[in-house]
Amino acid sequence: MKEKMKLKFDFVSSATLDDKTKDTRISFILNKVKDGTIVVTDGVLKPEEEIDLIKETMRRVDDGFPGIEVASLKKPMKGMMNVFEKMVDSKERVQSLIAGLTGRPLEKTSMRTGLTLIGPARYIKKIKKNPNSFSVLTEI
Amino acid sequence: MPLNRLFDWFYTLFGMRRSVRLGIYGSINVGKTTLANRISKDWTGEEVGKVSPIPHETRFIQKKEKIHIKHRGKNLTINLLDMPGLATKIDYRSFLKYGLSKKAARQRAKEATDGVIEAIKWLNNVDTVLAVMDATEDPLTQINITLLGNLEARNIPVIVVANKIDKKKADVDAIREAFPQYPVVEVSALKGKNIGQLYDAIAKYSKGAK
Repeated sequence: MKEKMKLKFDFVSSATLDDKTKDTRISFILNKVKDGTIVVTDGVLKPEEEIDLIKETMRRVDDGFPGIEVASLKKPMKGMMNVFEKMVDSKERVQSLIAGLTGRPLEKTSMRTGLTLIGPARYIKKIKKNPNSFSVLTEI
Repeated sequence: MPLNRLFDWFYTLFGMRRSVRLGIYGSINVGKTTLANRISKDWTGEEVGKVSPIPHETRFIQKKEKIHIKHRGKNLTINLLDMPGLATKIDYRSFLKYGLSKKAARQRAKEATDGVIEAIKWLNNVDTVLAVMDATEDPLTQINITLLGNLEARNIPVIVVANKIDKKKADVDAIREAFPQYPVVEVSALKGKNIGQLYDAIAKYSKGAK
């Protein structure tokens, strides 16, 4: 008889993630995903965080953890909101640069509005993305 | 990045032009090295790296420096940087079907993960990027979205290269629709199709062109 496999989803609030620095946020997500959990976050990582997530994933790849699959839906910002978002990003980049140069701890940064799914590549076989939705194919 | 800007300002102030560091980025097996070889062969007669059907053939950054491009009255000196393919997953078992031993496959996977990390680190050191996409595949991948988002955040000029247009399945419109805010040049790096248009775009969008 085939053993039943279970798939665990964690839905994480933006409040939980906003309370973390970039590095601790990425670790928080990856620790769960490496344990086999599919994480759905109420918010979207910034591009710099997404690329750091990939970088950190590569550091953690081993025989049992080949990596992640990730997809996000970001609420498009228009007009002044877009300008404001870019200003916040610039401010956070400067803070990150200063923290790197001075050795000061990174400050907490908020996530963008949207939805992100991050899961272990050993279970998620494919993510089909459209501009306003995505579908996930799993195999366990 | 601020240091790069300072150097750019310094060079411009004294009427000097340094080489443009042209990074070739993209997912695995989209034809990055084939494109790098095409560009390098056109202007130096030499190739940059080996091409293979096995994913992650390029696991170290391959450079070709001081390539002088003279195209339609424009002069440009580029340092070509062929980057390892970006990926969110690398499973050594996927290399076994190509006949690699377990040991060789594990070694390839280790080098490939290091290559992705290096390619990401180099995003801070490139002046212009060719974001290569396979025109026969769905362009809306998280790798493409993350790459373009990071280039935009860093204010790095980017040209989307829709590669493999020699194949029947190629759908360049899908790429244009997915990323309407970027210049898209459709090419076949393998056949050399439309490469002149790519040089036009490089000359137009690179800061060091004159």
